[in-house]
Amino acid sequence: MASEPMSVGSSAQDPPPLPDATSQEPKYGGHTRFELELEFVQALGNPEYVNYLASRKFLQNPAFVAYLDYLQYWTRPPYLQYITYPTSCLKMLELLQVERFRKDILSPNLTHALVTEGMKAAVEWHREG
Amino acid sequence: MDKKLDASFERVEKALAVLIDSMSKYTPSEKAANGVVKAQRELFLGLEELEIHQRNVARIRQLEQETEALDAQTKQTISALWEMRKELVAVAPTKFTPTKEEKYPFTTQQLLDYARRISRNTLPPPGVTNGVDLSPAAPTTPDDQSAGGPNGSFANSIGGGGGSDPGTAASTPAPGVQDSFVSQAPSQSLTGATELPVHLKPAVNPLENAPFFTFPTIDRIRSGALAQYQDLVNRGIDPKIYDPEEEERRLKQEEQERKEAEERARQEMEEQERRMREERERMARERELARQQQQQEGGIDRRGSVLAPGQGGGQPGRSAPKQFTFLDEDDDDDED
Repeated sequence: MASEPMSVGSSAQDPPPLPDATSQEPKYGGHTRFELELEFVQALGNPEYVNYLASRKFLQNPAFVAYLDYLQYWTRPPYLQYITYPTSCLKMLELLQVERFRKDILSPNLTHALVTEGMKAAVEWHREG
Repeated sequence: MDKKLDASFERVEKALAVLIDSMSKYTPSEKAANGVVKAQRELFLGLEELEIHQRNVARIRQLEQETEALDAQTKQTISALWEMRKELVAVAPTKFTPTKEEKYPFTTQQLLDYARRISRNTLPPPGVTNGVDLSPAAPTTPDDQSAGGPNGSFANSIGGGGGSDPGTAASTPAPGVQDSFVSQAPSQSLTGATELPVHLKPAVNPLENAPFFTFPTIDRIRSGALAQYQDLVNRGIDPKIYDPEEEERRLKQEEQERKEAEERARQEMEEQERRMREERERMARERELARQQQQQEGGIDRRGSVLAPGQGGGQPGRSAPKQFTFLDEDDDDDED
């Protein structure tokens, strides 16, 4: 389900180019880097998934932490408009930059609280509106 | 000024000295007395001048003080302006915000499109939201976790639907969901006589069991591109050089080539069979002809043997055309 742990030596890359019908972007298993990273950054919105990543010790890997930092380009235009789960995904990306949270998310209680609170916030925000 | 006054005093003193001297000689001189009066008048004039001078000095001092005060005030104002300018320069970066926005201009249509796209994941459908009671969701946390998994508890927190997301936890619905559903039943049936029975309500509600999550569910993640990628890695295929579309195209092409090859082989075989059949037919015809010829020749021979031996010279002349006929037929076969 998750990608293989990256080597620490992975060099920092620029964000992938925006999707374009004519682009000749290299594909990985039939998907461009843009597609894979968009899917991953949105999957991070699921606290269960982040908990799973934490349990596999991904969040302690410096390369993975650097990757999380790199993924922050999704919080800025023009990439922002492609995120279809903005609320949870962007918040989780922000939280994952904090080392304390990366450790705490290992707890199932916190994971569940995030799920419940997130749902509650979505419903209550609607009510207030 | 001092010199001028000193000179006046000196002149008065001299005049007095002359007068006293003249008086001491008992020869008072009127001229000396006039000189004293004159010197004294000059001295008074000088003193008046001194007074004016002193007043002017005082005035100058006062003006200087005023100037200093004004200078200080000016300096203070200027330094305040400088401070203000520095502050303005410090807050200047916020002015770049509009230019940054201009860098990524968007139209209202794009904004609305985006809103439509995300609304599915940010706003629960009305039927799902109605009647949601979130308060029990928090205390039941441990039960849900042990019973139906986290996805089950989502359904519980949504509540009104009375079910769980079919895609996520359909196989193991959380017990809490059933409880809340049953507990709502009596109040609903009492509200109106025209309402449907509770057990039929889900059937007419299009939003029944409608899933709502603010993030991709585990199932969606499991069926996504990353999962495919991991699958390829697990199968020992390098995803960098593996493209399913390309692979499919290649397989199709191979399949087509295989089919074409089969078709060709089949045609060749048919052709061969046809040739063999023709060959057999030809050979059969040849045999038949040979047989007929033999029969004919046998008849001739027989006839020849019957005829007188002297007429045998005519035999080659008659058999030769037969041979040519034979060759002609062979050529025809080859052309076919």
